[in-house]
Amino acid sequence: MKNNEQKYLKTIKKQKIKILIWQLFILFLFFSIWEYLTSKEIISPFIYSSPTRIIKCVIELIHNHNFFIHIYVTLKEVIISFILGISIGFIIALLLYEFKFLAQILDPFLTMLNSLPKVALGPLIIILWGANIKSVIIMALLINLIVSIITIYNGFQCTDEYRLKLFKSMKASKLQIMTKLVIPSSYQTIIASFKLCVAQTLVGIIMGEFLVSKQGIGYLIVYGKQIFNLNLVMTGIILLAIISYLLYKIITCLEKKLLKHI
Amino acid sequence: MNNILHIENLTKNYQTKEGIIAAIKNLNLEVKKGEIISLVGPSGCGKSTLLSIIDGLDNDYSGYIQKDNKLKIAYMLQSDALLPWLTIYENAILGLKIEHNLNRQNLEYVDYLLDLYNLKEFKNNYPQNLSGGMKQRLALIRTLALKPDLLLLDEPFSALDQQSRLLISDDVYKIIKKEKKTVLLVTHNIEEAITFSDKVIILSKRPASIKKILTIDIKNESSIYERRKDINFNKYFDIIWKDLDINEE
Ligand SMILES: Nc1ncnc2c1ncn2[C@@H]1O[C@H](COP(=O)(O)OP(=O)(O)O)[C@@H](O)[C@H]1O
Ligand SMILES: [Mg+2]
Repeated sequence: MKNNEQKYLKTIKKQKIKILIWQLFILFLFFSIWEYLTSKEIISPFIYSSPTRIIKCVIELIHNHNFFIHIYVTLKEVIISFILGISIGFIIALLLYEFKFLAQILDPFLTMLNSLPKVALGPLIIILWGANIKSVIIMALLINLIVSIITIYNGFQCTDEYRLKLFKSMKASKLQIMTKLVIPSSYQTIIASFKLCVAQTLVGIIMGEFLVSKQGIGYLIVYGKQIFNLNLVMTGIILLAIISYLLYKIITCLEKKLLKHI
Repeated sequence: MNNILHIENLTKNYQTKEGIIAAIKNLNLEVKKGEIISLVGPSGCGKSTLLSIIDGLDNDYSGYIQKDNKLKIAYMLQSDALLPWLTIYENAILGLKIEHNLNRQNLEYVDYLLDLYNLKEFKNNYPQNLSGGMKQRLALIRTLALKPDLLLLDEPFSALDQQSRLLISDDVYKIIKKEKKTVLLVTHNIEEAITFSDKVIILSKRPASIKKILTIDIKNESSIYERRKDINFNKYFDIIWKDLDINEE
Protein backbone atom coordinates (compact mmCIF):
# COMPACT_ATOMS: atom_id res chain seq x y z
CA MET A 1 0.00 0.00 0.00
CA LYS A 2 2.54 2.50 1.26
CA ASN A 3 4.90 1.54 -1.52
CA ASN A 4 2.29 2.19 -4.14
CA GLU A 5 1.55 5.58 -2.70
CA GLN A 6 5.21 6.53 -2.79
CA LYS A 7 5.46 5.33 -6.35
CA TYR A 8 2.47 7.42 -7.26
CA LEU A 9 3.98 10.51 -5.65
CA LYS A 10 7.23 9.83 -7.46
CA THR A 11 5.53 9.67 -10.86
CA ILE A 12 3.77 12.95 -10.13
CA LYS A 13 7.06 14.56 -9.18
CA LYS A 14 8.70 13.20 -12.31
CA GLN A 15 5.84 14.57 -14.39
CA LYS A 16 6.26 18.01 -12.84
CA ILE A 17 9.99 18.04 -13.55
CA LYS A 18 9.32 16.99 -17.13
CA ILE A 19 6.91 19.86 -17.59
CA LEU A 20 9.37 22.34 -16.10
CA ILE A 21 12.13 21.13 -18.41
CA TRP A 22 9.85 21.56 -21.40
CA GLN A 23 8.90 25.06 -20.31
CA LEU A 24 12.53 26.09 -19.86
CA PHE A 25 13.34 24.51 -23.22
CA ILE A 26 10.63 26.54 -24.96
CA LEU A 27 11.97 29.75 -23.41
CA PHE A 28 15.51 28.84 -24.39
CA LEU A 29 14.41 28.00 -27.93
CA PHE A 30 12.48 31.26 -28.23
CA PHE A 31 15.43 33.40 -27.12
CA SER A 32 17.95 31.43 -29.19
CA ILE A 33 15.92 31.77 -32.38
CA TRP A 34 15.42 35.44 -31.65
CA GLU A 35 19.16 35.91 -31.09
CA TYR A 36 20.05 33.88 -34.19
CA LEU A 37 17.63 35.66 -36.52
CA THR A 38 18.78 39.10 -35.41
CA SER A 39 22.51 38.32 -35.38
CA LYS A 40 22.26 37.00 -38.96
CA GLU A 41 20.18 40.10 -39.76
CA ILE A 42 17.37 37.92 -41.11
CA ILE A 43 15.14 40.24 -39.12
CA SER A 44 16.32 43.70 -38.24
CA PRO A 45 17.93 43.87 -34.76
CA PHE A 46 17.19 47.57 -34.80
CA ILE A 47 13.43 46.95 -34.80
CA TYR A 48 13.20 43.55 -33.09
CA SER A 49 16.09 44.10 -30.66
CA SER A 50 17.70 40.87 -29.38
CA PRO A 51 18.36 39.07 -26.10
CA THR A 52 21.98 40.26 -25.90
CA ARG A 53 20.94 43.82 -26.64
CA ILE A 54 18.32 43.61 -23.93
CA ILE A 55 20.91 42.37 -21.44
CA LYS A 56 23.22 45.20 -22.43
CA CYS A 57 20.38 47.63 -22.05
CA VAL A 58 19.63 46.33 -18.55
CA ILE A 59 23.29 46.66 -17.56
CA GLU A 60 23.33 50.21 -18.87
CA LEU A 61 20.19 51.05 -16.97
CA ILE A 62 21.66 49.62 -13.79
CA HIS A 63 24.78 51.74 -14.38
CA ASN A 64 22.70 54.88 -14.69
CA HIS A 65 20.99 53.96 -11.43
CA ASN A 66 17.66 54.07 -13.22
CA PHE A 67 16.79 50.44 -13.51
CA PHE A 68 15.62 49.78 -9.96
CA ILE A 69 13.92 53.14 -9.67
CA HIS A 70 11.65 52.37 -12.62
CA ILE A 71 10.83 48.92 -11.28
CA TYR A 72 10.31 50.30 -7.80
CA VAL A 73 7.97 53.03 -9.02
CA THR A 74 5.86 50.64 -11.07
CA LEU A 75 5.73 48.04 -8.30
CA LYS A 76 4.77 50.66 -5.76
CA GLU A 77 1.97 51.91 -7.98
CA VAL A 78 0.77 48.38 -8.65
CA ILE A 79 0.72 47.40 -4.98
CA ILE A 80 -1.02 50.58 -3.83
CA SER A 81 -3.65 50.36 -6.58
CA PHE A 82 -4.15 46.65 -6.05
CA ILE A 83 -4.70 46.97 -2.30
CA LEU A 84 -6.95 50.00 -2.72
CA GLY A 85 -8.83 48.25 -5.55
CA ILE A 86 -9.64 45.10 -3.66
CA SER A 87 -10.41 46.77 -0.34
CA ILE A 88 -12.64 49.49 -1.77
CA GLY A 89 -14.17 46.91 -4.10
CA PHE A 90 -14.85 44.61 -1.16
CA ILE A 91 -16.52 47.35 0.86
CA ILE A 92 -18.70 48.48 -2.04
CA ALA A 93 -19.65 44.87 -2.81
CA LEU A 94 -20.65 44.45 0.85
CA LEU A 95 -22.83 47.56 0.69
CA LEU A 96 -24.45 46.41 -2.54
CA TYR A 97 -25.17 42.99 -1.02
CA GLU A 98 -26.56 44.43 2.20
CA PHE A 99 -28.66 47.10 0.50
CA LYS A 100 -30.33 45.40 -2.46
CA PHE A 101 -32.13 48.64 -3.27
CA LEU A 102 -28.81 50.41 -3.75
CA ALA A 103 -27.63 47.59 -6.02
CA GLN A 104 -30.72 47.98 -8.18
CA ILE A 105 -30.21 51.72 -8.48
CA LEU A 106 -26.51 51.45 -9.31
CA ASP A 107 -26.82 48.51 -11.70
CA PRO A 108 -26.98 50.46 -15.00
CA PHE A 109 -24.17 52.79 -13.91
CA LEU A 110 -21.90 49.88 -13.06
CA THR A 111 -22.65 48.25 -16.40
CA MET A 112 -21.87 51.50 -18.18
CA LEU A 113 -18.61 52.04 -16.28
CA ASN A 114 -17.64 48.44 -16.91
CA SER A 115 -17.91 48.71 -20.68
CA LEU A 116 -16.54 52.26 -20.98
CA PRO A 117 -12.95 52.24 -22.30
CA LYS A 118 -11.30 53.88 -19.30
CA VAL A 119 -8.32 55.07 -21.30
CA ALA A 120 -10.66 57.69 -22.75
CA LEU A 121 -10.73 59.28 -19.30
CA GLY A 122 -6.92 59.60 -19.23
CA PRO A 123 -6.63 63.22 -20.40
CA LEU A 124 -9.38 64.26 -18.02
CA ILE A 125 -7.63 62.58 -15.08
CA ILE A 126 -4.38 64.39 -15.86
CA ILE A 127 -6.15 67.72 -16.01
CA LEU A 128 -7.89 67.05 -12.72
CA TRP A 129 -5.03 65.51 -10.74
CA GLY A 130 -1.89 66.52 -12.59
CA ALA A 131 0.85 64.50 -14.25
CA ASN A 132 1.93 62.53 -11.20
CA ILE A 133 1.72 59.18 -9.46
CA LYS A 134 -1.75 60.05 -8.15
CA SER A 135 -3.14 60.11 -11.67
CA VAL A 136 -1.51 56.78 -12.47
CA ILE A 137 -3.11 55.18 -9.43
CA ILE A 138 -6.50 56.69 -10.20
CA MET A 139 -6.27 55.36 -13.73
CA ALA A 140 -5.55 51.87 -12.35
CA LEU A 141 -8.37 52.13 -9.82
CA LEU A 142 -10.85 53.09 -12.53
CA ILE A 143 -9.98 49.85 -14.25
CA ASN A 144 -9.54 47.38 -11.39
CA LEU A 145 -12.24 48.64 -9.05
CA ILE A 146 -15.16 47.82 -11.29
CA VAL A 147 -13.82 44.30 -11.82
CA SER A 148 -13.34 43.64 -8.12
CA ILE A 149 -16.76 45.07 -7.20
CA ILE A 150 -18.57 42.95 -9.74
CA THR A 151 -16.75 39.68 -9.06
CA ILE A 152 -16.87 39.96 -5.27
CA TYR A 153 -20.53 41.00 -5.35
CA ASN A 154 -21.37 38.03 -7.57
CA GLY A 155 -19.50 35.81 -5.11
CA PHE A 156 -21.63 37.10 -2.24
CA GLN A 157 -24.78 36.47 -4.23
CA CYS A 158 -23.84 32.84 -4.82
CA THR A 159 -24.04 32.02 -1.11
CA ASP A 160 -25.77 28.67 -0.76
CA GLU A 161 -29.44 29.21 -0.03
CA TYR A 162 -29.67 26.25 2.34
CA ARG A 163 -26.87 27.67 4.43
CA LEU A 164 -28.58 31.05 4.43
CA LYS A 165 -31.79 29.41 5.53
CA LEU A 166 -29.92 27.57 8.26
CA PHE A 167 -28.42 30.79 9.61
CA LYS A 168 -31.79 32.53 9.54
CA SER A 169 -33.35 29.58 11.29
CA MET A 170 -30.67 29.91 13.98
CA LYS A 171 -31.73 33.56 14.30
CA ALA A 172 -28.32 34.84 13.24
CA SER A 173 -27.94 38.61 13.06
CA LYS A 174 -27.14 40.34 9.78
CA LEU A 175 -23.57 40.84 10.94
CA GLN A 176 -23.21 37.16 11.82
CA ILE A 177 -24.62 36.12 8.46
CA MET A 178 -22.11 38.40 6.75
CA THR A 179 -19.01 37.49 8.75
CA LYS A 180 -19.67 33.83 9.44
CA LEU A 181 -21.32 32.82 6.18
CA VAL A 182 -21.39 35.18 3.21
CA ILE A 183 -17.77 36.31 3.35
CA PRO A 184 -16.23 32.88 4.09
CA SER A 185 -18.42 31.35 1.35
CA SER A 186 -16.87 33.78 -1.09
CA TYR A 187 -13.20 33.12 -0.27
CA GLN A 188 -12.80 31.39 -3.59
CA THR A 189 -14.37 34.17 -5.62
CA ILE A 190 -12.49 36.78 -3.66
CA ILE A 191 -9.16 35.11 -4.49
CA ALA A 192 -10.27 34.77 -8.12
CA SER A 193 -11.04 38.48 -8.11
CA PHE A 194 -7.48 39.10 -6.81
CA LYS A 195 -6.14 37.41 -9.92
CA LEU A 196 -8.34 39.45 -12.23
CA CYS A 197 -7.52 42.56 -10.24
CA VAL A 198 -3.75 42.09 -10.59
CA ALA A 199 -4.04 41.83 -14.34
CA GLN A 200 -6.35 44.82 -14.57
CA THR A 201 -4.15 46.86 -12.23
CA LEU A 202 -1.14 46.31 -14.47
CA VAL A 203 -3.15 47.43 -17.48
CA GLY A 204 -4.20 50.56 -15.63
CA ILE A 205 -0.72 51.35 -14.33
CA ILE A 206 0.94 51.03 -17.72
CA MET A 207 -1.81 53.08 -19.32
CA GLY A 208 -1.31 55.70 -16.62
CA GLU A 209 2.45 55.71 -17.06
CA PHE A 210 2.05 56.08 -20.83
CA LEU A 211 -0.01 59.19 -20.20
CA VAL A 212 1.96 60.71 -17.33
CA SER A 213 5.42 59.75 -18.65
CA LYS A 214 7.80 60.45 -15.81
CA GLN A 215 8.98 57.21 -14.26
CA GLY A 216 8.20 53.53 -14.28
CA ILE A 217 8.29 50.71 -16.76
CA GLY A 218 5.47 52.21 -18.84
CA TYR A 219 7.57 55.35 -19.08
CA LEU A 220 10.59 53.29 -20.23
CA ILE A 221 8.51 51.89 -23.06
CA VAL A 222 7.12 55.25 -24.15
CA TYR A 223 10.52 56.92 -23.85
CA GLY A 224 12.15 54.11 -25.81
CA LYS A 225 9.59 54.58 -28.55
CA GLN A 226 10.17 58.35 -28.64
CA ILE A 227 13.93 58.08 -29.09
CA PHE A 228 13.46 55.00 -31.27
CA ASN A 229 15.46 52.79 -28.92
CA LEU A 230 13.63 49.48 -29.37
CA ASN A 231 15.96 47.75 -26.91
CA LEU A 232 14.43 49.85 -24.18
CA VAL A 233 10.91 49.00 -25.35
CA MET A 234 11.63 45.26 -25.36
CA THR A 235 13.33 45.47 -21.96
CA GLY A 236 10.21 47.15 -20.58
CA ILE A 237 7.94 44.50 -22.05
CA ILE A 238 10.01 41.65 -20.66
CA LEU A 239 10.19 43.27 -17.23
CA LEU A 240 6.39 43.58 -17.28
CA ALA A 241 5.98 39.94 -18.24
CA ILE A 242 8.20 38.90 -15.33
CA ILE A 243 6.43 41.15 -12.84
CA SER A 244 2.95 40.03 -13.84
CA TYR A 245 4.00 36.38 -13.67
CA LEU A 246 5.48 36.83 -10.19
CA LEU A 247 2.42 38.68 -8.88
CA TYR A 248 0.16 35.96 -10.24
CA LYS A 249 2.34 33.29 -8.61
CA ILE A 250 2.17 35.02 -5.24
CA ILE A 251 -1.62 35.03 -5.39
CA THR A 252 -1.77 31.37 -6.41
CA CYS A 253 0.37 30.49 -3.38
CA LEU A 254 -1.97 32.51 -1.20
CA GLU A 255 -4.90 30.67 -2.75
CA LYS A 256 -3.43 27.25 -1.90
CA LYS A 257 -2.86 28.30 1.68
CA LEU A 258 -6.29 29.85 2.23
CA LEU A 259 -8.47 27.36 0.39
CA LYS A 260 -7.08 24.14 1.79
CA HIS A 261 -10.40 22.85 3.02
CA ILE A 262 -12.81 24.12 0.41
CA MET B 1 -53.98 21.42 26.34
CA ASN B 2 -50.65 19.79 25.69
CA ASN B 3 -50.42 21.40 22.29
CA ILE B 4 -47.15 23.08 21.56
CA LEU B 5 -48.27 24.10 18.11
CA HIS B 6 -51.68 24.89 16.77
CA ILE B 7 -52.30 25.85 13.16
CA GLU B 8 -55.68 26.93 11.86
CA ASN B 9 -56.69 27.70 8.31
CA LEU B 10 -53.18 28.29 7.09
CA THR B 11 -53.04 29.54 3.52
CA LYS B 12 -49.92 30.53 1.66
CA ASN B 13 -49.55 31.94 -1.83
CA TYR B 14 -46.29 32.75 -3.60
CA GLN B 15 -46.35 35.78 -5.88
CA THR B 16 -44.22 35.11 -8.91
CA LYS B 17 -43.75 36.73 -12.28
CA GLU B 18 -45.84 33.97 -13.83
CA GLY B 19 -48.65 34.59 -11.39
CA ILE B 20 -49.78 33.36 -8.02
CA ILE B 21 -48.75 29.90 -6.86
CA ALA B 22 -50.98 28.53 -4.13
CA ALA B 23 -48.69 26.46 -1.91
CA ILE B 24 -50.86 25.76 1.14
CA LYS B 25 -54.62 25.97 1.47
CA ASN B 26 -56.72 25.90 4.65
CA LEU B 27 -54.39 23.63 6.52
CA ASN B 28 -55.09 22.72 10.14
CA LEU B 29 -52.57 21.01 12.37
CA GLU B 30 -52.15 20.21 16.03
CA VAL B 31 -48.85 19.08 17.46
CA LYS B 32 -48.67 17.73 21.01
CA LYS B 33 -45.57 17.65 23.13
CA GLY B 34 -43.52 14.54 22.53
CA GLU B 35 -45.30 13.58 19.34
CA ILE B 36 -43.49 12.44 16.25
CA ILE B 37 -45.47 13.35 13.17
CA SER B 38 -44.56 12.53 9.59
CA LEU B 39 -45.75 14.59 6.68
CA VAL B 40 -45.97 12.82 3.36
CA GLY B 41 -47.17 14.27 0.13
CA PRO B 42 -46.29 14.55 -3.54
CA SER B 43 -43.14 16.50 -4.26
CA GLY B 44 -43.73 20.20 -4.72
CA CYS B 45 -46.94 20.14 -2.71
CA GLY B 46 -45.79 22.66 -0.12
CA LYS B 47 -44.11 20.65 2.64
CA SER B 48 -40.93 22.72 2.89
CA THR B 49 -43.05 25.85 2.73
CA LEU B 50 -45.04 24.64 5.72
CA LEU B 51 -41.90 23.98 7.77
CA SER B 52 -40.47 27.40 6.89
CA ILE B 53 -43.66 29.07 8.09
CA ILE B 54 -43.67 27.06 11.32
CA ASP B 55 -40.04 28.01 11.92
CA GLY B 56 -40.88 31.67 11.46
CA LEU B 57 -38.69 32.14 8.39
CA ASP B 58 -41.67 33.14 6.31
CA ASN B 59 -44.29 35.46 7.77
CA ASP B 60 -46.19 36.11 4.59
CA TYR B 61 -49.23 33.86 5.07
CA SER B 62 -52.81 34.04 6.19
CA GLY B 63 -54.34 31.97 8.96
CA TYR B 64 -53.60 31.48 12.59
CA ILE B 65 -50.55 29.93 14.16
CA GLN B 66 -50.25 29.57 17.88
CA LYS B 67 -46.99 28.59 19.44
CA ASP B 68 -45.49 29.25 22.80
CA ASN B 69 -43.13 32.23 22.82
CA LYS B 70 -40.51 30.15 24.52
CA LEU B 71 -40.91 27.27 22.10
CA LYS B 72 -37.49 26.61 20.66
CA ILE B 73 -37.58 25.30 17.13
CA ALA B 74 -34.67 23.84 15.19
CA TYR B 75 -34.84 23.19 11.49
CA MET B 76 -32.81 20.51 9.76
CA LEU B 77 -32.77 21.09 6.04
CA GLN B 78 -32.73 18.89 2.98
CA SER B 79 -29.05 19.68 2.57
CA ASP B 80 -26.59 19.16 5.42
CA ALA B 81 -25.51 22.81 4.90
CA LEU B 82 -22.19 22.19 6.67
CA LEU B 83 -19.55 24.89 6.38
CA PRO B 84 -16.45 23.40 4.72
CA TRP B 85 -14.12 26.06 6.12
CA LEU B 86 -14.92 25.07 9.71
CA THR B 87 -13.75 21.94 11.49
CA ILE B 88 -16.22 19.26 12.48
CA TYR B 89 -16.24 20.57 16.02
CA GLU B 90 -16.74 24.17 14.91
CA ASN B 91 -19.62 23.05 12.71
CA ALA B 92 -21.19 21.21 15.62
CA ILE B 93 -21.16 24.28 17.86
CA LEU B 94 -22.15 26.75 15.13
CA GLY B 95 -25.68 27.29 16.41
CA LEU B 96 -24.50 27.70 20.00
CA LYS B 97 -21.96 30.24 18.86
CA ILE B 98 -24.56 32.21 16.93
CA GLU B 99 -26.79 32.21 19.99
CA HIS B 100 -23.86 33.19 22.25
CA ASN B 101 -24.61 30.10 24.26
CA LEU B 102 -21.22 28.46 24.52
CA ASN B 103 -21.47 27.54 28.18
CA ARG B 104 -19.91 24.48 29.71
CA GLN B 105 -23.09 22.48 29.94
CA ASN B 106 -23.87 22.95 26.24
CA LEU B 107 -20.33 22.14 25.18
CA GLU B 108 -20.34 18.99 27.25
CA TYR B 109 -23.56 17.99 25.53
CA VAL B 110 -21.92 18.52 22.12
CA ASP B 111 -19.00 16.37 23.23
CA TYR B 112 -21.41 13.70 24.34
CA LEU B 113 -23.21 13.77 20.97
CA LEU B 114 -19.95 13.68 19.00
CA ASP B 115 -18.87 10.70 21.05
CA LEU B 116 -22.21 8.97 20.58
CA TYR B 117 -22.03 9.35 16.81
CA ASN B 118 -18.37 8.33 16.55
CA LEU B 119 -17.26 11.73 15.38
CA LYS B 120 -15.18 12.65 18.40
CA GLU B 121 -11.88 11.43 17.03
CA PHE B 122 -12.34 13.49 13.86
CA LYS B 123 -13.31 16.59 15.80
CA ASN B 124 -10.50 18.70 14.38
CA ASN B 125 -10.80 17.49 10.81
CA TYR B 126 -12.78 19.25 8.13
CA PRO B 127 -16.08 17.91 6.85
CA GLN B 128 -14.95 17.47 3.24
CA ASN B 129 -13.78 13.90 3.83
CA LEU B 130 -16.81 12.68 5.75
CA SER B 131 -19.19 10.21 4.14
CA GLY B 132 -22.71 11.38 3.33
CA GLY B 133 -24.03 9.61 6.40
CA MET B 134 -21.44 11.16 8.69
CA LYS B 135 -22.21 14.60 7.31
CA GLN B 136 -25.88 14.10 8.06
CA ARG B 137 -25.04 12.97 11.58
CA LEU B 138 -22.98 16.09 12.08
CA ALA B 139 -25.88 18.22 10.83
CA LEU B 140 -28.08 16.45 13.34
CA ILE B 141 -25.63 17.10 16.18
CA ARG B 142 -25.55 20.78 15.22
CA THR B 143 -29.35 20.79 15.42
CA LEU B 144 -29.64 18.85 18.67
CA ALA B 145 -26.94 20.95 20.34
CA LEU B 146 -29.47 23.78 20.48
CA LYS B 147 -31.74 21.61 22.65
CA PRO B 148 -34.86 22.43 20.67
CA ASP B 149 -38.38 21.64 21.88
CA LEU B 150 -39.58 21.08 18.36
CA LEU B 151 -37.48 19.56 15.60
CA LEU B 152 -38.38 20.20 11.98
CA LEU B 153 -36.76 17.61 9.74
CA ASP B 154 -37.07 18.24 6.00
CA GLU B 155 -36.26 15.05 4.13
CA PRO B 156 -33.08 14.74 6.17
CA PHE B 157 -32.12 11.35 4.77
CA SER B 158 -33.10 11.78 1.14
CA ALA B 159 -29.57 12.35 -0.11
CA LEU B 160 -28.24 9.16 1.47
CA ASP B 161 -27.93 5.70 0.00
CA GLN B 162 -30.32 3.06 1.30
CA GLN B 163 -27.88 1.55 3.80
CA SER B 164 -26.77 4.79 5.46
CA ARG B 165 -30.36 5.89 5.37
CA LEU B 166 -31.45 2.93 7.50
CA LEU B 167 -28.54 3.28 9.90
CA ILE B 168 -28.89 6.98 10.41
CA SER B 169 -32.63 7.13 10.60
CA ASP B 170 -32.43 4.48 13.30
CA ASP B 171 -29.85 6.57 15.18
CA VAL B 172 -32.04 9.60 14.88
CA TYR B 173 -35.13 7.69 15.94
CA LYS B 174 -33.41 6.41 19.06
CA ILE B 175 -32.04 9.74 20.11
CA ILE B 176 -35.34 11.51 19.50
CA LYS B 177 -37.13 8.94 21.62
CA LYS B 178 -34.53 9.12 24.33
CA GLU B 179 -34.61 12.89 24.49
CA LYS B 180 -38.41 12.91 24.16
CA LYS B 181 -38.31 15.47 21.38
CA THR B 182 -41.32 16.64 19.46
CA VAL B 183 -40.74 16.14 15.76
CA LEU B 184 -42.25 17.06 12.42
CA LEU B 185 -40.62 14.89 9.76
CA VAL B 186 -41.11 15.49 6.07
CA THR B 187 -40.34 12.41 4.02
CA HIS B 188 -40.92 10.78 0.66
CA ASN B 189 -40.38 7.40 2.09
CA ILE B 190 -43.53 5.63 3.26
CA GLU B 191 -41.66 3.06 5.34
CA GLU B 192 -39.79 5.82 7.07
CA ALA B 193 -43.01 7.67 7.81
CA ILE B 194 -44.58 4.61 9.41
CA THR B 195 -41.61 3.39 11.39
CA PHE B 196 -40.70 6.83 12.69
CA SER B 197 -43.95 8.30 13.80
CA ASP B 198 -46.95 8.29 16.04
CA LYS B 199 -48.97 9.91 13.30
CA VAL B 200 -48.67 10.15 9.54
CA ILE B 201 -50.27 13.13 7.87
CA ILE B 202 -50.99 12.68 4.19
CA LEU B 203 -51.03 15.92 2.25
CA SER B 204 -52.84 16.59 -0.99
CA LYS B 205 -51.24 17.82 -4.18
CA ARG B 206 -50.36 21.50 -4.28
CA PRO B 207 -51.81 23.55 -2.65
CA ALA B 208 -51.21 21.37 0.38
CA SER B 209 -54.06 20.59 2.67
CA ILE B 210 -54.58 17.61 4.93
CA LYS B 211 -56.02 14.62 3.19
CA LYS B 212 -55.79 12.09 5.94
CA ILE B 213 -54.35 11.64 9.40
CA LEU B 214 -53.29 8.13 10.21
CA THR B 215 -52.48 7.15 13.77
CA ILE B 216 -49.70 4.60 13.90
CA ASP B 217 -50.28 2.17 16.68
CA ILE B 218 -47.01 0.32 17.01
CA LYS B 219 -46.09 -0.31 20.62
CA ASN B 220 -42.49 -1.34 20.16
CA GLU B 221 -40.27 1.73 20.32
CA SER B 222 -36.85 0.09 20.52
CA SER B 223 -35.76 0.71 16.93
CA ILE B 224 -37.14 1.26 13.49
CA TYR B 225 -36.09 -2.28 12.53
CA GLU B 226 -38.32 -3.69 15.23
CA ARG B 227 -41.15 -1.37 14.36
CA ARG B 228 -41.01 -2.48 10.77
CA LYS B 229 -41.80 -6.05 11.89
CA ASP B 230 -45.13 -5.05 13.41
CA ILE B 231 -48.10 -6.95 12.01
CA ASN B 232 -49.89 -3.72 11.10
CA PHE B 233 -47.02 -2.31 9.04
CA ASN B 234 -48.34 -3.55 5.71
CA LYS B 235 -51.83 -2.32 6.44
CA TYR B 236 -50.50 1.19 7.11
CA PHE B 237 -48.36 1.03 4.01
CA ASP B 238 -51.37 0.22 1.85
CA ILE B 239 -53.46 3.02 3.28
CA ILE B 240 -50.79 5.64 2.69
CA TRP B 241 -49.94 4.33 -0.76
CA LYS B 242 -53.58 4.55 -1.82
CA ASP B 243 -54.04 8.04 -0.51
CA LEU B 244 -50.88 9.58 -1.91
CA ASP B 245 -51.68 11.59 -4.99
CA ILE B 246 -48.53 10.51 -6.75
CA ASN B 247 -50.39 7.43 -7.97
CA GLU B 248 -52.75 9.42 -10.09
CA GLU B 249 -50.09 10.99 -12.24
N1 LIG C 1 -39.74 31.25 -3.02
C1 LIG C 1 -40.66 30.72 -3.84
N2 LIG C 1 -41.23 31.48 -4.80
C2 LIG C 1 -42.15 30.96 -5.63
N3 LIG C 1 -42.59 29.70 -5.59
C3 LIG C 1 -42.08 28.89 -4.66
C4 LIG C 1 -41.07 29.34 -3.73
N4 LIG C 1 -40.74 28.31 -2.93
C5 LIG C 1 -41.50 27.27 -3.33
N5 LIG C 1 -42.30 27.60 -4.36
C6 LIG C 1 -43.27 26.74 -5.03
O1 LIG C 1 -44.22 26.31 -4.07
C7 LIG C 1 -44.51 24.94 -4.23
C8 LIG C 1 -44.21 24.17 -2.95
O2 LIG C 1 -42.82 24.16 -2.72
P1 LIG C 1 -42.16 23.35 -1.53
O3 LIG C 1 -42.81 23.78 -0.26
O4 LIG C 1 -40.70 23.50 -1.62
O5 LIG C 1 -42.59 21.86 -1.89
P2 LIG C 1 -42.14 20.47 -1.25
O6 LIG C 1 -41.21 20.75 -0.12
O7 LIG C 1 -43.40 19.83 -0.81
O8 LIG C 1 -41.50 19.68 -2.34
C9 LIG C 1 -43.70 24.44 -5.40
O9 LIG C 1 -44.53 24.41 -6.53
C10 LIG C 1 -42.62 25.48 -5.57
O10 LIG C 1 -42.29 25.62 -6.92
MG1 LIG D 1 -39.17 20.27 0.00
